[in-house]
Amino acid sequence: MTTPAIRMFRGLEGLFCVYKPSGVHWKLVRDTIETNLLKGLNATPPQPLPQEVRLLAHPVSETEAPKGLTLSAVSVAVLSKHPLVTGPEFQHIKVGVGHRLDAPSSGVLVLAVGNGNRALNGLTTYTTRVTRDYTLEGEFGTATDDFSHTGRVVERSTYGHITQDKLDRVLAMLQGVNQKALLLYSNVDMRSQEAYEMAAQGLLGPGGKSTPILTGLRCIRFQPPNFTLEVQCLNETQKYLRKVVHEIGLELRSTAMCKGVRRTRDGAFTLQDALTHHHWTASDVKQAIRQYHSSKKKRKETHTKIKDPALQLPEETAGKKTETYNEAAAKGGIK
Amino acid sequence: MAFPCVRLCSRHMSIGLQVCGYATLSKAPRPSPRPQEKSDTGPVFQYVGQHRKPNHKVFVWGFSFTGALGIPSFVVPDSGRKKPRKYQLTPYRLDTAEQISSAACGYGFTLIASSTKDTSKLWGMGLNKDSQLGFQRSQHSRLKGYEYVLEPSPVALPLAEPLQTKVVQVACGRAHSLVLTDQEGVFSMGNNAYGQCGRRIVEDEVYRCVLIQIFQFHFFHTSLMCFHDLLLFLTEKGKVFACGWGADGQTGLGHHNVSPSPVEVGGDLAGVEVQQISTYGDCSLAVSRDGHLYGWGNSEYLQLSSVTEATQINSPRRLPLKGCGKIVQAACGGTQVAVLNEKGEVFVWGYGILGKGPKLSESATPEMIPSTLFGRSEFNPSVAVTRIRCGLNHFAAVTDQGELFVWGKNVRGCLGIGKRDDQYFPWRVTVPGQVVDVACGVDHMVALAKSLL
Repeated sequence: MTTPAIRMFRGLEGLFCVYKPSGVHWKLVRDTIETNLLKGLNATPPQPLPQEVRLLAHPVSETEAPKGLTLSAVSVAVLSKHPLVTGPEFQHIKVGVGHRLDAPSSGVLVLAVGNGNRALNGLTTYTTRVTRDYTLEGEFGTATDDFSHTGRVVERSTYGHITQDKLDRVLAMLQGVNQKALLLYSNVDMRSQEAYEMAAQGLLGPGGKSTPILTGLRCIRFQPPNFTLEVQCLNETQKYLRKVVHEIGLELRSTAMCKGVRRTRDGAFTLQDALTHHHWTASDVKQAIRQYHSSKKKRKETHTKIKDPALQLPEETAGKKTETYNEAAAKGGIK
Repeated sequence: MAFPCVRLCSRHMSIGLQVCGYATLSKAPRPSPRPQEKSDTGPVFQYVGQHRKPNHKVFVWGFSFTGALGIPSFVVPDSGRKKPRKYQLTPYRLDTAEQISSAACGYGFTLIASSTKDTSKLWGMGLNKDSQLGFQRSQHSRLKGYEYVLEPSPVALPLAEPLQTKVVQVACGRAHSLVLTDQEGVFSMGNNAYGQCGRRIVEDEVYRCVLIQIFQFHFFHTSLMCFHDLLLFLTEKGKVFACGWGADGQTGLGHHNVSPSPVEVGGDLAGVEVQQISTYGDCSLAVSRDGHLYGWGNSEYLQLSSVTEATQINSPRRLPLKGCGKIVQAACGGTQVAVLNEKGEVFVWGYGILGKGPKLSESATPEMIPSTLFGRSEFNPSVAVTRIRCGLNHFAAVTDQGELFVWGKNVRGCLGIGKRDDQYFPWRVTVPGQVVDVACGVDHMVALAKSLL
């Protein structure tokens, strides 16, 4: 028998994303969400207790003879089903985390509830080419031991010689190196026609595990000593991204450290869809999951419509950032 | 300064013996993370000043046993334990005395030139059996020259004013080479069996001799191009002159004979201002200032099939190329041709590995190579190719971002991609720096690069 709580739980199964604030471990976020969801599920009005017919003996006075118990049928509530006895209906729910974010970083964190965890498996086991977008805040002039602004200062250097033009040259060089890495880690024989066709469309990429690869890198703000980079990457860790900022400083014959890492997109989930701290309640999560399901349906429809023309385009379609999980695994991913 | 704390594991330490089992290093307990204090005392290092100019470097790769790479330790190793390195598969830095502005690769030899006014402005390395690198006097005898030059050695040019003239361009052919100076014309040296050095053909001429066979042309030229056994000049006014072997009509002079002295090329080029010429092997191309392409010579591999079905044309004809736009540069290979239009797109046709996968091995019409292969992407929407060069069986393209892409047959490692397999579509060569220019030979290449900063 499905209780309203179970019905609500079925509505909660799926994927959604939250905005993880910086300074908080991702596990805390996951635990808070799980607690809030449990609160919401267990707040549904309880079922009325089932009734049971029991044969109860009448209270017999001691003076009467012990023989001949008189029993009468009474409809009594089953106390073993009382919530105070059984406990709340939901005590644990499976809430899984997609790509993790370390404590100093902030941004989009994808979570999955119940059956949605299966979709998460496809996301995290590197089978599809799912990229993530980050915004990195950097500052020239200092180098620290863990590449971030909270580390121990290792060296300080001048940065007056750095111009936007030089920074762009270094970023172009890094992009070239990473694009070559994309081709090297793809498991396609370079001498085949298939390799040429995939490379011409920009579809060549690592199929499985690989080193972190930045598929896109550009500077969106440059006000020395501060600068902001936009990165699109695969198989990365936040520490690696901070190291990239440090290495950009070294290439420019100076030093740099990373002041903030912010994930702006994870696959198809963007900052617009992320739930902030005040909205980590069961009803908001349910709405977000419903939105995810409907957008997945829309993407499936557009995907099947444009699948054939897209494969014949010699150049990749610009600005197409939508990504699917299960469909991409089957069709090889379109960037 | 954070001092590392050394914690000794107490289990393994015994009181009698002062032996520690292991020690763990841990960071001293730091205060809680806080933003850096700007008033930290400590030196501020300056690595680079405001007005730093980029360094210029030369990289070489390919087949090294002829000495064409200019690194003697590849052929004759320094220590007995090392083995000679026959193929250099990735770019290797060549140390030069001056900043090199022009380089050219021939068949087993290389010429590099600098635009200084010093006495030594031209260096050559590699094969010298036909004196294509001038006379390199050997240490053993005054009369004999070196047949293989393993290191960049100065080539002495008989200049009238050696401290005023600058070398503008060098070009190398099969066994001859040319040097263009700004004030004293063109010097040629090397094999002249077909008149490709521009001098009168002498039967059974011996090239390995005491005197340098140099011939001087007193024209003022903007560029010259010579490959295999042909010599083409381009003057400032846009006229083309040719001399040398003409069996395939590549001299463009209307006949199939050898031409020992430079004669102006006519045909469709009469009256046309040419801005760039290119030739390799037996086919020649010229690009006019208004963006049209003219070709003559061998067409066995469909290089000129847009105007003719014959296998050779001995007079220049205009090639109507549809869909290519305004042509800016052309490059001729042994059996294939590539052109570059003003938008930075590359078109290829001919026979061989053209750059569009293993299936496309022959094409009579221009085929465009997709720009995504040259690095164009969502983050880099405007990458364009600025220079295109051809070797005998391979291509090289330099983009405006300073990246070098190569594709084609990998003859003895000439592509520089780290492996000896042929490359069927453009592949990036990892050169430390931004590539400015590249010279392609038969089995080796030279790249001129400058550092990023």
